[in-house]
Amino acid sequence: MKTMNPVERKRCRQQRMQILQCTVLTVLMFLASQATAQPIDVRGGNPTLNITAGVAGGQPTPRVNTATSIRYWRQAAISKITVRTTCPGQSFTLTVQATGVTRGVAAPQVTLVDGMLDVDFITNIPSAGTWTSTTPTLRYTASATFAQGNSAEEGNDVHTVTYTIQVQ
Amino acid sequence: MRKTRTMKSGRSLKKLVLFHALILCLFCFVGRATAQIYGSDFHRVTVTVSTLTAVQVSSGSISLSITGAGAVAGQDQMTVVDQTTNLLWGTNRSTRKITVRTNLAAPQFTLKVLAFNPTVGTAMPEVTVSTTATDFLRDIGRSSGTCALRYTGIALASQGIGNDSHTISFTATAQ
Repeated sequence: MKTMNPVERKRCRQQRMQILQCTVLTVLMFLASQATAQPIDVRGGNPTLNITAGVAGGQPTPRVNTATSIRYWRQAAISKITVRTTCPGQSFTLTVQATGVTRGVAAPQVTLVDGMLDVDFITNIPSAGTWTSTTPTLRYTASATFAQGNSAEEGNDVHTVTYTIQVQ
Repeated sequence: MRKTRTMKSGRSLKKLVLFHALILCLFCFVGRATAQIYGSDFHRVTVTVSTLTAVQVSSGSISLSITGAGAVAGQDQMTVVDQTTNLLWGTNRSTRKITVRTNLAAPQFTLKVLAFNPTVGTAMPEVTVSTTATDFLRDIGRSSGTCALRYTGIALASQGIGNDSHTISFTATAQ
């Protein structure tokens, strides 16, 4: 095995240090790019809407839930929020609408259907101004017909509702 | 020899720096390519529907009076018909039917009822009401509907005069 002289050893050490620095810098830059604040946040947990009454000659009484909200932050470009759901074996009807929207324009009530594509939920969210974030309410409405049956026979509908903020 | 090794090391370093630069560019490119989406979040929303059964009559009380106005001489039986009320129901359970019964154990006169023109289900033949629940309308499972209630009061001249006060109950039950 050939031994290096002190000058070569020093140069090697320097190169190793440079490589290490370069690697650390790359990793740090990547982490920094990923470490930006969450641009959208669904708050209030996982709500359950129970339909427990019905009208003879009519239909079961819809149930409304406004216990959850969605917080979103100002982005660099004009943006929008879309919504979609997955609910395998869906039996009943669920709609959602944003209320109390002060930044952007709330779309009309969206009917959530298993496997749906992203549908506009809040549009024209401004990129300018002094605001940083806003938190409108999510108004869910569950409804069913007598013909659609009940949870004991059909099972509950469990929706995974996803909100996405993106460039408009 | 030493110079060659140093040059090789320099080239390796350049390659490594280039590699890292490429990685960074790739991250930036991927970042740009997905910049259309800033982020997303989700939660779970559960919808439950209880087993529901609602049955309702459109009016609280009706009165059938046999006054003898239409009585035919020589004929013992007199009848009166009322079809001013409706039955409404809604049920989200499978295989349901509606039965009818009265609370009056020993009526003086006869009272019959028929589900007339139901929007859903199959009407049974005219039922003489008794304290035993009797099928009135079948095959209504998971539906919302209405039918007219056609009551027929029957009295015989030989039964004399009097009043029968019935509380009629309609019940949706398993078929």
